[in-house]
Amino acid sequence: MTVSNPRPCGDFRTDYAGDTRLFSDRAHTGGFFCLLALALVVPFVFDGYVVSLMILIGIYGIAALGLNILVGFTGQISLGQAAFFGFGAFSSAWLNTNTGIPVMITILLAGIMTTAVGMIFGIPAARIKGLYLAIATLAAQFILEDFYARAEWFTGGSAGSLAETPELFGFVFDSDQRYYYLVLFWVCVSFLLASNLMRSRDGRAFIAVRDHYLSAEVMGINLTKYRILSFGISSFFAGIGGALMGHYLGYVSAESFTIFFSVLFLAMIIIGGLGSIAGTLLGTAFIVLLPQFMEFLVGLLSGPVPFLLDVQPYIKEMAIGSAIIIFLIFEPEGLIHRWRLIRAYWRLYPFSY
Amino acid sequence: MKKILLSALGAFLLSTPALAQDKVFVGHMVDYTGATAFVGTEYGPGVRDAIDFVNANGGIDGTMIEMETVDYAYKIAEAIAHYKRWTSRHGMVAMQGWGTADTEALITFVARDKVPVWSASYSAHLTDPQKLNPNTKKAAPYNFFYGPSYSDGCRAMVQWAADDAKEKGIDNPKFVYTGDNHPYPNAPKKACMEFAEELGFEVLNPVIVPLKPGDFKAQCLTIKEGGAQYAYVGNLGGSVISLLKSCDTVGTDVTYMANIWGGGYKTIEATQTQGYIFPSASPFWEQEAPGMETVREIAALADRDVVADKPTHHYIRGICSAMYMVDAMKYAKANGGITGENIRKGTYATQDWVPEGMEGVCLPSTWTDKDHRGTTRVSINSGSFVDGKVQIEKLRTIVLPRRADWLGQ
Repeated sequence: MTVSNPRPCGDFRTDYAGDTRLFSDRAHTGGFFCLLALALVVPFVFDGYVVSLMILIGIYGIAALGLNILVGFTGQISLGQAAFFGFGAFSSAWLNTNTGIPVMITILLAGIMTTAVGMIFGIPAARIKGLYLAIATLAAQFILEDFYARAEWFTGGSAGSLAETPELFGFVFDSDQRYYYLVLFWVCVSFLLASNLMRSRDGRAFIAVRDHYLSAEVMGINLTKYRILSFGISSFFAGIGGALMGHYLGYVSAESFTIFFSVLFLAMIIIGGLGSIAGTLLGTAFIVLLPQFMEFLVGLLSGPVPFLLDVQPYIKEMAIGSAIIIFLIFEPEGLIHRWRLIRAYWRLYPFSY
Repeated sequence: MKKILLSALGAFLLSTPALAQDKVFVGHMVDYTGATAFVGTEYGPGVRDAIDFVNANGGIDGTMIEMETVDYAYKIAEAIAHYKRWTSRHGMVAMQGWGTADTEALITFVARDKVPVWSASYSAHLTDPQKLNPNTKKAAPYNFFYGPSYSDGCRAMVQWAADDAKEKGIDNPKFVYTGDNHPYPNAPKKACMEFAEELGFEVLNPVIVPLKPGDFKAQCLTIKEGGAQYAYVGNLGGSVISLLKSCDTVGTDVTYMANIWGGGYKTIEATQTQGYIFPSASPFWEQEAPGMETVREIAALADRDVVADKPTHHYIRGICSAMYMVDAMKYAKANGGITGENIRKGTYATQDWVPEGMEGVCLPSTWTDKDHRGTTRVSINSGSFVDGKVQIEKLRTIVLPRRADWLGQ
């Protein structure tokens, strides 16, 4: 059922450089730049609603990417991604307000601060696995959530803290159209960084840890180091995403970063495809757009079937739940697998074999 | 099937409903299924029914209000998405918001887009539109709400408790604050505890009670051992019911004073409690007032079953919130057109303002460009469950001074 190598016949790799190229072939490269060009014109073509959805997809996508590195590539588990996401949001707001460092820099610094926190909460991963680790990260979720409500000096306590609008050489990112480009920049940077990471020794070590930790250790991979490193990298992206979210809203509230949100991040990467960089973005888009799309659909169908309007909220909630179940059963490898099948079909058309 | 879905997706991305001239768009965010649904299902219909009533009676001098009600289930991402859709696709001129989560997340956006919001979040920091009080974190120039702020509600409770203690001859009264460590219960915490101290209470350490219902006997034992005579209830719904029931089992001898969402017909009925003190900013359903005629008409038009599903004071406050917005829109229409900016001016236009037809229901309120505390008048009620029926008795009305150091706090 899997198409593990959708490469045309005769396209063999003859050297290591070719094997570790960022884009496997010309079509891949072209596709990437086409998508990038499309993404660049979005604010000119679509209205504010679509742009704001794209911003949310971008921001959540960055945080989900971090989680995918941890869960999909390293085989660990985390139920605390939303807490780290929040830590990034608060850190950036706090740094900017208290030290006056420009927001454009604090976003990055927030990522680094969140890395540190993520590594601390990742320490249990050195000793425990599976369900036990899941519960340990759940503790991170609870501890941090409570910390946000209490640490007035850092988060403003339950009143929340304010986040300035980013500015670059006098250009203020104060509209959705402008903010979109800032998010797009970070999406590109994050996804390129992650793709590159997976081509490096460290990235391959992550995969080795995931596939068989004992063999990995025998081959000289320091399990503790890589597990904690993975938590750190995962939190870095969560922190960047959180910081972008905080400055987008202009306000960070202690009650936004709940366990439900953490689970939603997990849903994004499961639906997108565990262990796939591009799949992360697909999954995020799916989760963000699904409730909106369901609502639109219900609105469309409510003409002939008015009853639907009353149950609209249930349909929205259930849609996410059933989407996860359906994907787990019919497409456990996520949306990205479906996309690979489509790509293989067209590449080999009409002589598929 | 695939083709249908794809074309639906395309339509979803590109659809832009045309705006008719005789309509204005108002967004309405409700929580019917989320964390705050216990009172969301009472307040939201109030707003909805009031707008339907206004439309049935000629709208805003001929202009209909097109209101879209969305159950965002207390999720911030949903709230933002809907808000953006409303502003970019429907040219929203005003919004009826709901809780702490969406209101706070949207403060920056509504100020930027100049969309006045009437929220059901009564946090005091929404009342300082120009950040005149140095302790206010952020100016909220486009945020309004009808009723006393959470802080003023709690201050009135404390004021009542101080007088009650004097009457009962309690020498050294003790006060304890209960509630989750969460933005909504915490909103009035500092302000309220400071005022209690000012009035000579011994203020005990706050007791953390989760917002989610559960067994709270441990918390009740803490309250009991602290020896407080007066406890403020910062939570709402199921959590309050659990707390009162647990404390009943433990046997605490405390007078509970709730915040505005924590008290009402349904809470008292579920807990069968005695002498439960809670604030209100409108009459109750059975009470008589000139404006109650309008309220009953509104409920009748919406076909609400007022016997089985008795409208509470939250429902009536929802109506008030909508009616103030409608009145401000009328002003805007007569003074340069219905835009967010003009609607905001409309809210500043009248002193001691009662919306048309709501006399005796909505308290006279005054908003100015420096002070968004509409009213500081708080009715203190006592609710008891007697012989299978809820009895609510109004104890008194407290009018708090508009102290400058309380603005936004």
